[in-house]
Amino acid sequence: MKKVALVAIGLFAVVVLCLWVFGLPVGESLKDLWEGAAGDEFGRARTLVRATPLVFCALGIIVAWRAKMYNIGGEGQYVIGGVCGAWVAKSFVGLAPGLLNPLILVGAMLGGALYAGLAGWLQVKRGVQVVISTILLNFIALKVLSYAVTGPLQQTSKQNPMTDQLPNDVMFARFDPQSDLHVGVVLPFIAAALVFIYLYWTKGGFRLRLVGENEEAARVSGVPVPRVQMGAMLLSGALCGLAGGVDFAGFIGQVGLGYSQNWGFLAIPVALLGGLHPLGVLLSGLFFGGLFAGSENLATFNTLGSTVVYVMQAVAVLAFVGFKAWLDSRRPRAEGA
Amino acid sequence: MSAPALRVEDVSKRFGDVLALDRVSLEFFSGEVHAVLGENGAGKSTLMSVLAGFVVPDSGAVAYDGAGQYPFGHPHRVRELGIEMVHQHFMLVQEFTVAENFALGTLDSLRGALSETEVESRLQAVAKDLGWETDASARTGSLPVGVQQRLEIMKALAGDARVLILDEPTAVLSPGEVADLFRVLRRLSDGGKCVVLVAHKLSEVMAVSDRVTVLRGGKFVATALTSSVNEATLAEWMVGEVPPSRSPLTATHAVPLLSVVGLHVRGARGEEAVRGATFHVSPGEVLGIGGVDGNGQNELAEALVGLRPFSGGELVWSVGEHRTGYVPQDRQRQGLALDMSLLDNVLVQDNREFWSGPFLRKRALRTHAESLVREYEIKVRDLSDPVRGMSGGNQQKLVVSRVLAGSPDLLVANNPTRGLDVRATAYVQQRLLEAAQNGAAVVLFTTDLDELAAMSSRALFMSRGELREGGAEAMVG
Amino acid sequence: MDALMLAIAVLHFAAPVAFAAVGEAVAQRSGVINIGLEGVMLVACYFAMLGSATTGSPWLGMLFGVLAALALGVVQSFFTLRLAADQIVVGTAVNLFALGLTDTLFRARFGQTGSLISVERVPKLFGDLDVVLLLLLACAAYFAWFLAKTKRGLVVRAAGEYPDAVEAAGFSAISARFWCTIVGAALAGLGGAYLAVGVTGSFASGMTMGRGFLAIAIVTFGRWRPAWVLAAALLVGYSESVQYTLQARDLQVPGELLQALPHLVALGVLVLVGRGTAMPAMLAVPYRRDK
Repeated sequence: MKKVALVAIGLFAVVVLCLWVFGLPVGESLKDLWEGAAGDEFGRARTLVRATPLVFCALGIIVAWRAKMYNIGGEGQYVIGGVCGAWVAKSFVGLAPGLLNPLILVGAMLGGALYAGLAGWLQVKRGVQVVISTILLNFIALKVLSYAVTGPLQQTSKQNPMTDQLPNDVMFARFDPQSDLHVGVVLPFIAAALVFIYLYWTKGGFRLRLVGENEEAARVSGVPVPRVQMGAMLLSGALCGLAGGVDFAGFIGQVGLGYSQNWGFLAIPVALLGGLHPLGVLLSGLFFGGLFAGSENLATFNTLGSTVVYVMQAVAVLAFVGFKAWLDSRRPRAEGA
Repeated sequence: MSAPALRVEDVSKRFGDVLALDRVSLEFFSGEVHAVLGENGAGKSTLMSVLAGFVVPDSGAVAYDGAGQYPFGHPHRVRELGIEMVHQHFMLVQEFTVAENFALGTLDSLRGALSETEVESRLQAVAKDLGWETDASARTGSLPVGVQQRLEIMKALAGDARVLILDEPTAVLSPGEVADLFRVLRRLSDGGKCVVLVAHKLSEVMAVSDRVTVLRGGKFVATALTSSVNEATLAEWMVGEVPPSRSPLTATHAVPLLSVVGLHVRGARGEEAVRGATFHVSPGEVLGIGGVDGNGQNELAEALVGLRPFSGGELVWSVGEHRTGYVPQDRQRQGLALDMSLLDNVLVQDNREFWSGPFLRKRALRTHAESLVREYEIKVRDLSDPVRGMSGGNQQKLVVSRVLAGSPDLLVANNPTRGLDVRATAYVQQRLLEAAQNGAAVVLFTTDLDELAAMSSRALFMSRGELREGGAEAMVG
Repeated sequence: MDALMLAIAVLHFAAPVAFAAVGEAVAQRSGVINIGLEGVMLVACYFAMLGSATTGSPWLGMLFGVLAALALGVVQSFFTLRLAADQIVVGTAVNLFALGLTDTLFRARFGQTGSLISVERVPKLFGDLDVVLLLLLACAAYFAWFLAKTKRGLVVRAAGEYPDAVEAAGFSAISARFWCTIVGAALAGLGGAYLAVGVTGSFASGMTMGRGFLAIAIVTFGRWRPAWVLAAALLVGYSESVQYTLQARDLQVPGELLQALPHLVALGVLVLVGRGTAMPAMLAVPYRRDK
């Protein structure tokens, strides 16, 4: 709890600092941010819809990073998730909406999982770090996307590089047709709880954390390290893919060339500032989701765009990293090490 | 006699509770091969680290034939004095060619281009001087360990080294390679260089050295002309009196739990680390396996508990279902996840009680951890704190306690008391004996002869991957 | 003549990525991966545009861009080398910082719409050829020679494979990595600056469009050798330009496949031979002297 409060204060300070540095009236801007993120129903809807892919991808990232698999391919897995979801939607068109919707999500998860699994396989079997391979895979994912939406998955009218709009009854139900708020926004909460249970209350999750903390100790206690690392990547990809699937089936309804909105990248600071902990990630995801939503409101009053949030994220991460390094340097070295 | 090449005067160094060097004084002369002999923990390595400039002593001095203070803590300046060290862990880039590694190790400045022909001719000159052939363009990592070591020696001798320190150079070599190394060391000392050989094998010391110094427990014991002593004397200096067995346990005649037949195990580099080990261990006894580090003990230990596949031979168990427990040698690297909590570290030991299906039974784990903490008197502030903050003794108690709590039928402990203070050592030893008394078959690997004597019902010694019976002389053979 | 013009056009088109990739190859050989390359390029783009717009000189613009990139490189190495923080984490932060900073500054200065501005471009010598492109060729050749044939190059390579060996030889692995980070940032800065004042003559938010990441991928494709990396960058550029030609001729080849080909080949190489011996063993592993 103390840590959460510390991070929260730090984040607030960073937000204020960035507003001040960019020459904005701090008090007024904070008010605008707050109103845009939580001031009314639409603001809250925006916050939740922005937070959804952030939390999903950040959960995916912590599952991998806790096993010391540096998956930075959340972006590619998100895109592949969207494409696979769209592919399922097209292949099973006409299926009962109640079946098609979950099937889309399953397709998105599987696509993301297999895509990340390739990177995992490369590290476990070929010694190629996940960092390197996921950068390549991010690119290939974008090419796959552009191929898909100009080729096999293109809309029937063939006018634009995008898929057909998903019929309303296949999409997640909306609370209010005026807002973007869809039922799918509860999924990140459920996912965060499940990841929490998995990491801290199950054997698989324990092994995953142990492999990340000390691979050699894991091996000596009989844990099949490569299999655990592989599993972490599959799960990570599934969560990032699901982010793409939920955005497709809940919020956007079609996949186009610009389907990727950097959520896979933006989720990395969310994961870090959430302390690589599923519940922390839920909080930081909501915080940054709110900041993105609020910044859209802020932008209507001045020249700023929502990209100012990127700066806040970056500064917060660097401050976090610097603070941790400072703590580490004060900690006495372990004996004999 | 001329002035010594190096004179060590009253050097002391303390690490935490351990006095690694206690007012050690000795002299090394040009033109001699000087062996420094001692058991693990005798202080040899610390002394060499002081000389090589890696460790700054708490007190004392080193004089060399030259003016000024000895540059403690500055390895590079030590090398500029012509004092070169060949480490046990090679400072070689595996992906580099032989010539590139040679160039890196002998680089005088960073300026300018690297002349391949110049490097190669220097390399060939050094090689020829030592009577070696060398393939300058071979990839270092593809070469046998012995050849890599030659490269290390050539790097050290490329400048005008006056003192060459070799840290346990024979541990990784085959007998033929050892003979060749010794030929070269003799040639160097005949050429006027001072060769310091850190060793623990008596036969090798007798074969190559002019003089020998023995350290024990951080203290200087004696320096003698090698020709004036025999192996028995040296062994006695090294270990003190070989203590008679005083284990409370005697060998049992019970049916062996495990019979090991002709076991062969490969090490990390694919070398044959264990070569045909055959022995058995019964419930209620402690089988002690002594020997100097790096002779295949780790590989054998891991094979016994199923962590490492074996390439030949077999393990014959007399009971179908059996539990094994393993106390690894390095608690921080292999035993614990330092940034995880005590609870998590208890969980590392697989125990059916902690799980219902895939789910953790938190209460059972906590109760169990609390009972371990109470029973083993582990000092910890909070069960959820990272174990990094605990003392070494308490960390090891944790490792031992969680292994014993699984009531293993076979318990393999690999140097379980290394680095612990006296009280913690006694405590851990007592617990292991109790485990045997309660019916476990215990295999104890230890490099400490006192511990071997205090604990073992029977003792074997391991050398170069082979096991043999006998007293301390088996250890030094 | 046609072939030469095409070659120059490809070089011109691929230069921003090629600069960054050559610099990143040097940095990675020392054991430093710069995930923030995209951000470094983008910052250089913005400041090069700004410099060219305010001074009217594209050369001063290039200088501004490179200096901004260097500043970012210094900040980055403070975190990754001095604090030994995770290179991936820091690089990610640099990307976000750069994207946010340039966009925010751009909007603040040039208005919310980001009305299309046009700045003075680097003068051409012959076709698309200009001095900067010659500099690119020189850089690739120089760093290929540097890594393979110089004493510093030897130390750099050792720092990426086994930093302890560098320290044992009496040199500092940290400082080798620092200078390589700086070289990487400077070249990425050149690439970014050239994109703004050599290729497009303008600025748009996020205009690097993944070129920094592409550069990282190309380093893998070029097996960490500056000359091969340059060739790989040109091949990627060529495959993109061919794609436009094919589209112009209305041929039914999926252009994405062609575009993805270099990445697919790089991935295929990794699948088949794995890291092999080309990837620096200690890539992205922080080095601490006091362990």
